[in-house]
Amino acid sequence: MVTIFVVITFNFFLFRVLPGDPAKAGVHDPRMSPETEAALRERFGLDKPVFLNFEEGESLFDSQYFIYLGQLAQGDLGVSYQYRSTPVSELLTVALGNTLWLVLPAQVIGVMMGVGLGLAAAWRRKSAIDYGAVAVALLLWSLPTFFLGLILLLFGAGALGLPTGGRATVGAEFDSAWEAFADLVAHLILPTLTLALVIFGEYVVIMRSSVLDVFSEDYILTAKAKGLTTWRIIREHALRNAMLPLVTLIALDFGFVVAGAIQTEVVFSWPGLGLLTVTAVGQKDYPVLQGTFLLIAVVVVAANLLADLAYGFLDPRVSEAQHA
Amino acid sequence: MTIVVESAAPPRATTVRRGLVRGVLRRPAGIAGLIMLGLTVAMAVFAPWIAPYDPYETPPVRIEDIYQPPSAEHPLGTDDGGKDVLSQLIYGARVSLLVGFVAAILSLGVGSAIGLIAGYRGGRLGGTLMRITDFVLVIPALALQIVLVAILGPSLTTIILVIGLLGWTYLARLVRSETLSLRERRFVTRARAVGAGDGYIIRHHILPLVMPLLVAYSVLFISLAILEESTLAFIGLGDPTLISWGKMLNFAFTRGAVSAGAWWAFLPPGLAIVWVVLSLALLGNAIEELLNPRLKRHYLERDRADRREVVDRGLVAGVLRKIPVGGPGAAPEPILAVRGLTVAYDTPDGPLTAVRDLSFDLHRGQTVGLVGESGCGKTTAMLAIQRLLPPEGHVTAGAVMFEGTDVLSLPEDEMRAFRWTKMAMVFQGAMNALNPVRPVGQQVAEAIRVHDRTISGQLADRRAAELLERVGIGARRAEEYPHTYSGGMRQRAMIALALACQPRVIVADEPTTALDVMIQAQILELLAGLTEELEMSTILITHDLGVVAQVCDEVVVMYGGRLAEQAAAGPLFHDPRHPYTTALLQAFPDAGSPDRALHAIPGTPPQLDAMPAGCPFAPRCPHAFARCGVEVPPAYELDGDRRATCFLLDPAEVRSR
Repeated sequence: MVTIFVVITFNFFLFRVLPGDPAKAGVHDPRMSPETEAALRERFGLDKPVFLNFEEGESLFDSQYFIYLGQLAQGDLGVSYQYRSTPVSELLTVALGNTLWLVLPAQVIGVMMGVGLGLAAAWRRKSAIDYGAVAVALLLWSLPTFFLGLILLLFGAGALGLPTGGRATVGAEFDSAWEAFADLVAHLILPTLTLALVIFGEYVVIMRSSVLDVFSEDYILTAKAKGLTTWRIIREHALRNAMLPLVTLIALDFGFVVAGAIQTEVVFSWPGLGLLTVTAVGQKDYPVLQGTFLLIAVVVVAANLLADLAYGFLDPRVSEAQHA
Repeated sequence: MTIVVESAAPPRATTVRRGLVRGVLRRPAGIAGLIMLGLTVAMAVFAPWIAPYDPYETPPVRIEDIYQPPSAEHPLGTDDGGKDVLSQLIYGARVSLLVGFVAAILSLGVGSAIGLIAGYRGGRLGGTLMRITDFVLVIPALALQIVLVAILGPSLTTIILVIGLLGWTYLARLVRSETLSLRERRFVTRARAVGAGDGYIIRHHILPLVMPLLVAYSVLFISLAILEESTLAFIGLGDPTLISWGKMLNFAFTRGAVSAGAWWAFLPPGLAIVWVVLSLALLGNAIEELLNPRLKRHYLERDRADRREVVDRGLVAGVLRKIPVGGPGAAPEPILAVRGLTVAYDTPDGPLTAVRDLSFDLHRGQTVGLVGESGCGKTTAMLAIQRLLPPEGHVTAGAVMFEGTDVLSLPEDEMRAFRWTKMAMVFQGAMNALNPVRPVGQQVAEAIRVHDRTISGQLADRRAAELLERVGIGARRAEEYPHTYSGGMRQRAMIALALACQPRVIVADEPTTALDVMIQAQILELLAGLTEELEMSTILITHDLGVVAQVCDEVVVMYGGRLAEQAAAGPLFHDPRHPYTTALLQAFPDAGSPDRALHAIPGTPPQLDAMPAGCPFAPRCPHAFARCGVEVPPAYELDGDRRATCFLLDPAEVRSR
């Protein structure tokens, strides 16, 4: 919770304190008359002091920072400079939904495939599977996500005839909700595949080393001595222990997934948070930029908290420590 | 096999560093990485001489120059501005490598400084630093980089600073925990005690040891920075005045190269990034392998089919003939007969023999003590007879007969059925031998059900609880996890687990070492009582002669992987025949005669890789003579069904003296 508050404050000052004064950039325009500019500045609250208001007769908290906090509490993130009538919160809601459509399936597919191949590679150490898995992971690590996306885009568009950008076929009209959904899925295939591959490469390595660690633990020897079959040892004794570090990593790695998602969205013009961020940068649309950054940061922090809870649930040693 | 004794002297950093370079050069991945990286660096340095054109020059663009496919004039074609792609590619290496190296140095500097201070100082300052670190760690890096570069403007300096100053968090945490553990090591506390300043200690004692970590991370950081720079450039946040691979891709993507099918405009820069990052990843893997040599193998690897073929089958047949099948008047058949057991471990420097030519019998209801100093092959021998050796260990000769069954050649499924029902083991160090994330009772019940599927889950749970109760653990605690148990309780639980399938033989590997004296006695009594009641035979591995005197019928003394002496307990104590047995007895306090002087055995047991040519005990033996140094003594059969491997017992030697 504290972290989220720090993120909010950090986000505010990031956009006000740094040189370049982005808060003014959206309002300032040499063609504008000083009066219009002043009016605009007042409308965006830019005439008030930044942090605490020490002016006589004014409330101490009548400042940009506290107004920002108050607005934030009401879900008000300001208005986009770029689309002057659209509230940022509305843009964010739509974009977040689209990003989740992309990230969640990719994360599930990537982690599951990575865990599976990592397990197989560790189990059959020094076999063809193992060398293959390590080579694939190494290659995927070295491929920048956007470049992988470009390659898939070229291949997918050329050989498979899949749509290469956007969320829906432009101008198409659908007879049923089902057709609209099919169109959405067709648009999702390439970006999801890109992101899933990147995540997959990461988890092959992590799972492989985690499983190798667990397989050399003494309790695996005990299980073997007890006469369990190898498969049963893996299922009952190794898998859960090997997954433990993964849970923390899934959370720690959320930043990495976000980075992948931003690049994927740019390559495939997928209208999510990443594309919104990048277009906002191009248009110097700071309220939107501030909003996307805040949302991304808060989601990642929240995911970290969730992972901590999940870890406590999976590992009895931790949950007891929390109860005590 | 070897005991690592923490020395009071700091490990020498120079050897670490020199070993690192040599180690990397010995690995194919390391060499490949270095060559690939070297080529790229050379390309960047000599760019003006190699590149066919100057990409920073802007000649007038003719329409027919745009997106020219590769030709003799332009080996990689031209881009949307009619410029030579190859020249841009060569120059682009400069930006990528510059950003990579400088940002990595920044990250390394900041990360190690914060980690060192937080770890070495601790306290409020350390806490605050770590909280800041954790905060920066959770903020998604690329999002923050985009925002910062967007606000500050995309110049090369900004990009380097932003990448470098955001990438240090993970390293700071690692360095901190490393420093924390080093701070309490003996050579550091000692340096502090003699008045060394903090700066001196950090420079001379801590930094050299953190160094390998930094080396490994520098490689990772360079590749991360290169990837991040190219990503920023790709989404339009590259330095507008410079050519980089990311920017080439950005132009290709935004200016229609992809749809125009101009693969030469975006494949080369993309592959260049892959090339550099791959070279660094290969290098990093080689370094990582050197720094963290993990267990080469694990317990679940498949048995190699060729392994048991080395075993001398003739010997097995011999053992079968030698052991009488029973019948009237025959000597009682041993429940377990070990003959000529020899075990070797694979190492990078070739196989090392850990157990050589070990033979002994275990009879029904007997307790045999397996005695010797640490590292003399006791545990290895016991794991070998149950085929539980780690994969690098294997039996190279000998036979193990269990009630007439040749254990070493049982097929895998029969071996599984054999385990725990015929022979079970109480492992040394019960903390690690129990699975930390499963309740203790469940682990006992599992053993019961695996071997008898007719038993319902509930019944198995109930039996597990009964067993736990029997070893003095309340049935209620069956549902609890191992970490809630005390050391003594865990050892009891381990015994309950071993009893689960009522095996004929229990191997107990130093079941009492980690426990205090009172608990030790309780556990031994428990074990002895239960095995007697359930008519089990026991092999007790220990280096505690008091325990042996208390519970063992027969004693096998091992030294350097070989049998030293084997005899019934009484005669062994009263009349030891091997000098090593004598030395062991003299080193052990005897409650009966407290005035007797204790004699420590000088020296240490031989390491596996430095086994003496003759008798392994000769270097420490007070009676050693010339023959002991060159010839290995065989086992001499002595009166009273005992044996010892010492030339002093050779009838020829006895006569000649």
